Amino acid sequence: MTATQTVTLSDMTVRFGRTTALDGVSVGLEQGVTGLLGPNGAGKTTLLRVLATALAPDSGTVRAFGVAAGDAAGRLALRRRLGYAPQEPGFHLRFTAFEFVDYVAILKEMTDRRARHAEVRRVLHEVGLDDRRGSRIRALSGGMRRRVALAAALVGDPDLLVLDEPTVGLDPEQRLRFRETIALLGERRSVLLSTHQTEDVTALCARVVVLHGGRVRFDGDPAGLAAVARGRVWTSPDRPATALASWRTGAGVHRNVGTAPAGAELVEPTLEDGYLLLLEDAAPAEVAA
Amino acid sequence: MTGSHDTGEDAVNDTQGGWHPPDELLTVYARGAPPASARWSVEAHTATCARCRTRLGELAADAVARVWERVDAEVDAPLPGPVERLLMRCGVPDHTARLLAATPSLRASWLLAVLFTLVCAALVSSFAFTLEAPWPYLALAPLVPLAGVAVAFGPGVDPTHETGLTAPFDSFRLVVLRTLSVLVATTVLSGAASLLLPREGLAALAWLLPALALTGTTLALATRIGPLSAAVATGLVWALAVASTVDPADGTSVLFAPAGQAAAAALASAAALAVFRARARFDTARRFDHPVRFSRRPA
Repeated sequence: MTATQTVTLSDMTVRFGRTTALDGVSVGLEQGVTGLLGPNGAGKTTLLRVLATALAPDSGTVRAFGVAAGDAAGRLALRRRLGYAPQEPGFHLRFTAFEFVDYVAILKEMTDRRARHAEVRRVLHEVGLDDRRGSRIRALSGGMRRRVALAAALVGDPDLLVLDEPTVGLDPEQRLRFRETIALLGERRSVLLSTHQTEDVTALCARVVVLHGGRVRFDGDPAGLAAVARGRVWTSPDRPATALASWRTGAGVHRNVGTAPAGAELVEPTLEDGYLLLLEDAAPAEVAA
Repeated sequence: MTGSHDTGEDAVNDTQGGWHPPDELLTVYARGAPPASARWSVEAHTATCARCRTRLGELAADAVARVWERVDAEVDAPLPGPVERLLMRCGVPDHTARLLAATPSLRASWLLAVLFTLVCAALVSSFAFTLEAPWPYLALAPLVPLAGVAVAFGPGVDPTHETGLTAPFDSFRLVVLRTLSVLVATTVLSGAASLLLPREGLAALAWLLPALALTGTTLALATRIGPLSAAVATGLVWALAVASTVDPADGTSVLFAPAGQAAAAALASAAALAVFRARARFDTARRFDHPVRFSRRPA
C-alpha cells in the first residue's frame, strides 16, 4: 500500500455457489475518482458490496484508512467514513425525500435533531433536490430517486464514496450536474463508481479499473485504456469484413475497430475502443481457462 | 468602525447630542444578549434614529438568516406519524422513534389489523361455551408477534437493509429495538383482547410465554435462514404442535398447561441466549471473519 492509498482490497475472492464472482482481485484506491468498468456479471457490484462492508469475502482483506475491516471494530471504523449508494437503492416509499435521508442520517449515528436536519438539507441541496424535499419517494421519478440515494450516501461528508451505477436513469442535464458534484467531491475524497458509461469515466476519472470474469483486466489512467486500441481503429469508405465493430459515421465514412489492414487510415482511439478491445482480447483466455 | 456615525443630515440624531451606539453594542444587541441598561439605550436610540435602525438591521442579518434557516428546517422536518408521536410521548428519543416508525409491523394500519384479528379470535373463543380453554385465541395470539418480527428487518423485507448494514448503527441493536417494540405493541393488543375472555381468568394469558418462545426461536433461526423463512417454519411447527395436542372435546392442551408453559419459558430463554451468541450474523450478508459454510467450491 503506497502512502497515498486510502483503501486497499487484497486478493479478494467471493463465490456464490458454483459461481466465482471475484477471483483474487486486488485494487487500491487513492484520493480522487476511480471508475470501475466491466460488462454485466463482471463482479463490479460484488466488489463494491465487499468494499462497503455489505458482503463478506470468502478470502482476502479490506484495509481502509489504516484499519483492517475483517473484524467488527474495523468494519465500524470504515462505516463511519463511508458513503454507499447501492445499485438498486431501496426506499421506504411512504417517506418523503427529507424523511428518508433523515432516516439514513440516524443510521449514521447523527442523534442531534437540529444538526441532523441541517445536514439533510445540505445534501439534498447538493444533489439539486431542494424543491422536492417534501415529496414522497413513491411520487419521485427514477432519476430523482437516484439523487435521493446519492444524497443519503453524502450524509456525514464521508471520506470514501462507493457508488454503484449512479448515473443509470439520469437525463443528460442531471448527468452533467452529477458529474459536477462527483468531481468536486473527488478533490478531497476517494470515490469509487461503477458504471456502464465510458463517457462518465472519460469525463470524471483519473483512474479506471476494468473488471471482467471476476478479474482485473486493466488498472491505469483513461488514456492508457484508450491506448490499448492504438493502431486498431481506422476509417474506410466501406464496411471491412475483418472489423470487430464498424459503423457509418455522420461524415459518411466507416469507423472500424479491430485488426487494421495494412495501409489503413488510422485514427486516434477513444476509451470505449480500448475497453471493447480489452474485453475481446480477454475472451480467448477465458475459453482456455 | 467603533465609533459614531456621521449625523449631519439627521435632525433627530442631533437632538441626542450626536451619540450613536457603536457597532459592538449593536452586534451584542442583535445577538439578543446585551446588559439591561445597554438594551434600553439601544432601544431608545433606534426608536428615533433611522440610520442606526438600518445599521442594526445589517448587523442582525446573519442572525435573522440563521433563524430563518431553523424555521425552514422545522417546516421541512417530517411530521411524525401517530405511532412515532406515541413513542415520543412515551419518552423514546425522536431518532429511535423514527427508526421504529419505519417498521411495517409498527404502522397504525398493521396494528389495527392485528387488533381486529385478535378480537375476532377472542370472540370465537368466548362464544364456544363447550370449550374449557379458549384454544383458538391461545393458538393465534403467539403468532401475532411472529408475523410482526418477520417483516421488521432483514434482506428482502426491509428495503433499506443494505443501506442500514453499511451504516455505523449496529444492525443487531436495530433488530433488538424493532423486535422488542413489536413484542410490546402486540403484547398490549393481545392483553387488551384477553379482556374479552373474563371467565378464563389468568388462563387467558397462556399465550404470553409461547409468544416469547416463538419470537425468540424465529430470531435465532433468522440468523441462519432469514426472518421470513424462520417465521414461516416456526409458525408451522406451532400450528402442528397445537393441532396435535388440543383435545377436541374441551379445547385443553398441554401447551397451555403449566408443563407446556414451563417448556415455553425454557425455550424462550434458550432462544434469547442463542440470538445473543449469534448476534454477529446480523452484521453482514455473510460473516466477514470466516469462510461461508453454505458456499460450494466451484466444480
